[in-house]
Amino acid sequence: MTESDQHPYVEWIAGEARRPVVTDPAARERIMMAVRTEPLPQRRSRVWQRVFEPRAFRLSPVASTLLAAGLVGIGLIAGKVANNRDVRSPVGEPKVPAVVQQLPVSPDTVVKFVFVAPQASKVSVVGDFNGWDTTTTPMVRTPNSSVWTVTLPLTTGRHVYSFVVDGSTWSADPSAPLAPDDGFGRPNSVRIVGRGSAL
Amino acid sequence: MTLAPWGWVIKQNMSDDAADVRRVLAGDVDAYAALVDRYYDRCARFAVRMLGNRDDAEDALQVTFVRAYRALDRYQERDRFSAWLYRILVNQCRSIAARRAHREKVFVREEALLLNAPDRSTSWTGEDEEFVQRVLSELDPLLREAFLLKYIEEMSYEEMSTLTGVGVSALKMRVKRACDRLRERWERIKHD
Repeated sequence: MTESDQHPYVEWIAGEARRPVVTDPAARERIMMAVRTEPLPQRRSRVWQRVFEPRAFRLSPVASTLLAAGLVGIGLIAGKVANNRDVRSPVGEPKVPAVVQQLPVSPDTVVKFVFVAPQASKVSVVGDFNGWDTTTTPMVRTPNSSVWTVTLPLTTGRHVYSFVVDGSTWSADPSAPLAPDDGFGRPNSVRIVGRGSAL
Repeated sequence: MTLAPWGWVIKQNMSDDAADVRRVLAGDVDAYAALVDRYYDRCARFAVRMLGNRDDAEDALQVTFVRAYRALDRYQERDRFSAWLYRILVNQCRSIAARRAHREKVFVREEALLLNAPDRSTSWTGEDEEFVQRVLSELDPLLREAFLLKYIEEMSYEEMSTLTGVGVSALKMRVKRACDRLRERWERIKHD
């Protein structure tokens, strides 16, 4: 029992206060009326994600060269300003900053998702890349088999996803590591996408 | 009718909450009504006990549920929906209590509205309702909050700490002081 047992008066107060209260039956509908005037939370999330999510760019060789040259120039100027003193480079060592070798010029990565579901009438993949929308990315059944597949271009990095069978049954990818519990009680998987094709 | 203990509510509703949140985030706004229905009574009890009158409580509930809806896209990285919702509610009750502190502090007359309950078996009898609410309203708000979370919502101190951001030892002290105040009140009644 509770610590309030130590005094009958306190216990009585607590017991009485535990009783449900009677509220205005229309209050819940007023809440829903207010909610319906609000924008969908998913929409705002997508805008936010579009601004901040990492993404890959396709650059032509000319654009890549110009970007690299620009970064080299910025690096050289920044180096001069920061040092502001006479520092001679060792003879024979290139003056190119390391950033040149880390240019983010990889193409989008194509990823193929595969799921086996013999009894399913439809399967889709959901994840952080499609706003967890069960209708955005349907998978296609390979003819005369129980294999469902879909191929998606994804940005490089870590992606959390799951498969949804017949619109309601969530299932992790048995071929990928499980993601940490997201608080929803759903099994999710993790895929790390690198540069190039992941087919 | 009684409301189930806090821990039971968390376990039983977890998967339902997750499904409803996902439906809302997928564009089904009406799925939010299920979450409102599931938690309204419990939140209403806390708000009425905390704020002392139904009007303030309903304001707190309205703002709490709308704010939770607005922030639902950020909920995925947080805790169980019930705990997350309660955190918003507790903060909202604090705000309303602070904003209206200058108003008349005893809410007996407004509380009497609750006495016209259609089903007497599920509500208080008038005298007890009025009396208990007055006793609670005499407690310092921080003591009242801790007392309600502990003995009315039946949370553990760890749950309370997560919800309020206050340390466990400080919460234990607040609950103890609340009980002390109630006992002192009892002693005064006996001697009057």
